[in-house]
Amino acid sequence: MNNERLNYGDRIIYMEGVVVDVDDCSISVDLKGRLGFFKAPKRMFICDTEPKVGQEFGWNMSFPEQLGPEINEHYVSNIEKERRKQEKMRERLDNKEV
Amino acid sequence: MSITAETAKAHAHDPAVLCCRAEAGITIEPANLEDPAIFDDLVDSGLLSLDGCLTIEEVLGAKLTKTCDSLAPLTADVLDGVKAVSAPAEEEEVEEEAAPAAAPVAAAPVVAGGTLKIHIGEGKDIDLEIPVGALGAGGAAVAEVPAGAEAVVAGAAAPAVVEEEKVVGTLTRKHFNITEVKRGPETKIEGTTLYIREGIEADVIADQELVKDFHLEIITPELYHTYSETIMDVQPIATKEGDSELGSGVTRVLDGVVMMLTGVDEGGVQIGEFGSSEGYLDENIMWGRPGCPEKGEIFIKGNIVIQEKTNMERRGPMAAHTAFDIITQEIREVMKKLDESLVVDTQELKSIRRPGKKKVVIVKEIMGQGAMHDNFILPVEPVGILGARANVDLGNVPICVSPLEVLDGCIHALTCIGPASKEMSRHYWREPLVLEALHDPEVDLCGVVFVGSPQINAEKFYVSRRVGHTVEMMDADGAFVTTEGFGNNHIDFASHIEQIGMRGVPVVGMSYCAVQGALVVGNKYMQYMVDNNKSEAGIENEILGNNTLCPEDAVRALAMLKTAMAGEDVKAAEKKWNPNVKSTNVELIESAYGTKIDLVGNEQELPMSEKRRLKYS
Repeated sequence: MNNERLNYGDRIIYMEGVVVDVDDCSISVDLKGRLGFFKAPKRMFICDTEPKVGQEFGWNMSFPEQLGPEINEHYVSNIEKERRKQEKMRERLDNKEV
Repeated sequence: MSITAETAKAHAHDPAVLCCRAEAGITIEPANLEDPAIFDDLVDSGLLSLDGCLTIEEVLGAKLTKTCDSLAPLTADVLDGVKAVSAPAEEEEVEEEAAPAAAPVAAAPVVAGGTLKIHIGEGKDIDLEIPVGALGAGGAAVAEVPAGAEAVVAGAAAPAVVEEEKVVGTLTRKHFNITEVKRGPETKIEGTTLYIREGIEADVIADQELVKDFHLEIITPELYHTYSETIMDVQPIATKEGDSELGSGVTRVLDGVVMMLTGVDEGGVQIGEFGSSEGYLDENIMWGRPGCPEKGEIFIKGNIVIQEKTNMERRGPMAAHTAFDIITQEIREVMKKLDESLVVDTQELKSIRRPGKKKVVIVKEIMGQGAMHDNFILPVEPVGILGARANVDLGNVPICVSPLEVLDGCIHALTCIGPASKEMSRHYWREPLVLEALHDPEVDLCGVVFVGSPQINAEKFYVSRRVGHTVEMMDADGAFVTTEGFGNNHIDFASHIEQIGMRGVPVVGMSYCAVQGALVVGNKYMQYMVDNNKSEAGIENEILGNNTLCPEDAVRALAMLKTAMAGEDVKAAEKKWNPNVKSTNVELIESAYGTKIDLVGNEQELPMSEKRRLKYS
């Protein structure tokens, strides 16, 4: 299993965050203490009531650890393709709006 | 935490450990003992050693001779009056699933000539003779009598009465072969060539306000190594003939070609929950999965561009699917007029009820949390749009459908969750569990229940209680609960199983779990579980359809449900995911039924992309 590659995988810390955005598909959370931001699918959040902006969530997490220095060119190429596409589409969108 | 007398009984053969400090001289009761469910973790972390520990059954009623601290395992040297063991605890290898019940055919010899004779040899020597009328249709209808039954009185033999199979519905699929897809001045089918009208793109764009752009690609096998955006859906191209309604009459379907939908928003952001399966098609599709294309098929692939930032709203993906259906509908209209001489194959699907057999129901949990977690239910055309209602709008409540409606495309899947475990529209068209249960002469499949998975826990329990009552009304003897994907839908998945299980109906649960999808909750009714995982590492590996329900999973689930309905024990699962459980069970089923189960491959047989080599190997 892949988690054998982690050296600090058992260092679990309790985290809290504030919901900053909710859409039909996802929930965005600002981590308390200026520790970042994440956005994840709704199905990965457990909610007793309707999720709303301003609510607090808590969860356990650990530290993301680098799995190695290798750069996966396949991902780089996908990211680059994605970036170029978004740039092109953004340009088109901006031109349309003018 | 101390346990109750009931728990103590259930765990009679498990180790006895004190839950709290106990003084010398007390008599051991269930309240003094710790719940064995937590022992694995304690042993793993070295806090507990069970060497020489007696079982709960042995220690109950014994007198403690020495004051012991909490979490002290009870051994013979601190107890007086230890009971003898009633039955030796089975210490065979632990399994997720047990051997299936022996095929009942062997248990009940059938004598041709209008009489069913059952001879029960053990002790009492009782012969039962039951007139069975028209018995002998290939021996398909054979009474089930538990092997080794003792003292069966005449009245108790009632369930053994064999009734005739009843065909409650038929669905004819007429297959038309397509070997080439081209663009032309009009949409038409000539022989085995499908022409799609040039300029149809404009109609797709005009259909929905949110659709801003659209491109159509014809992907032939030579072009499989093409870069593609996230695949949102794979759909069969099928239409109803004449006035036939979905799930009955005649359906015409094109072979060799599928519809494939991909999309982005105007800002270039993928429509697709998160992450994606973008990349080269041949490296990202698990060929031949029920929901996926077959190798060799042509894809009519549409890439839709929807209004900026609507990709995360329900209306975005809905508009994309609705607009894309314009093309499919135009092909359907052409198919309706096709000459019968072009039919290459006719397949008749029958919905068969088998009164007297164990009645089973399939509950399929589908996503219902919102955008990309939604499904259109019961369109007019197979996997169409018109006439369908989104399960989110229906409040995710259970909807009962016939097995033939499922196989006729009553679900248009808007789900665009993790690629490996999502069930695409084509999955329902070829749903393996429905097919297996429908064709199994030993069970009576009464129907399929679709239930959505809402976001909020209160709503989850609201719908799962409806599921419980629905199954209760059916008087089912057994049930399957399946789910796609993983996440908070596992909460209602567990609740559905509980609601059905508490009504005394054995339930087999099916889901992708393995490593990443490990269940978030459990309950005592979740004893019979089948994992749909196929990936080598037990993870969501972004390969389309990899971890979805396949025929081999359906076979295992059926065998397990039959075992459970026969009242036999299914061994508890191991604490951590172990792929060997599956192979052991497959072997058990093969030897019990004398059949060979062909297991499907996994991502290892796809051309290894650099991405996967680095990430997953």
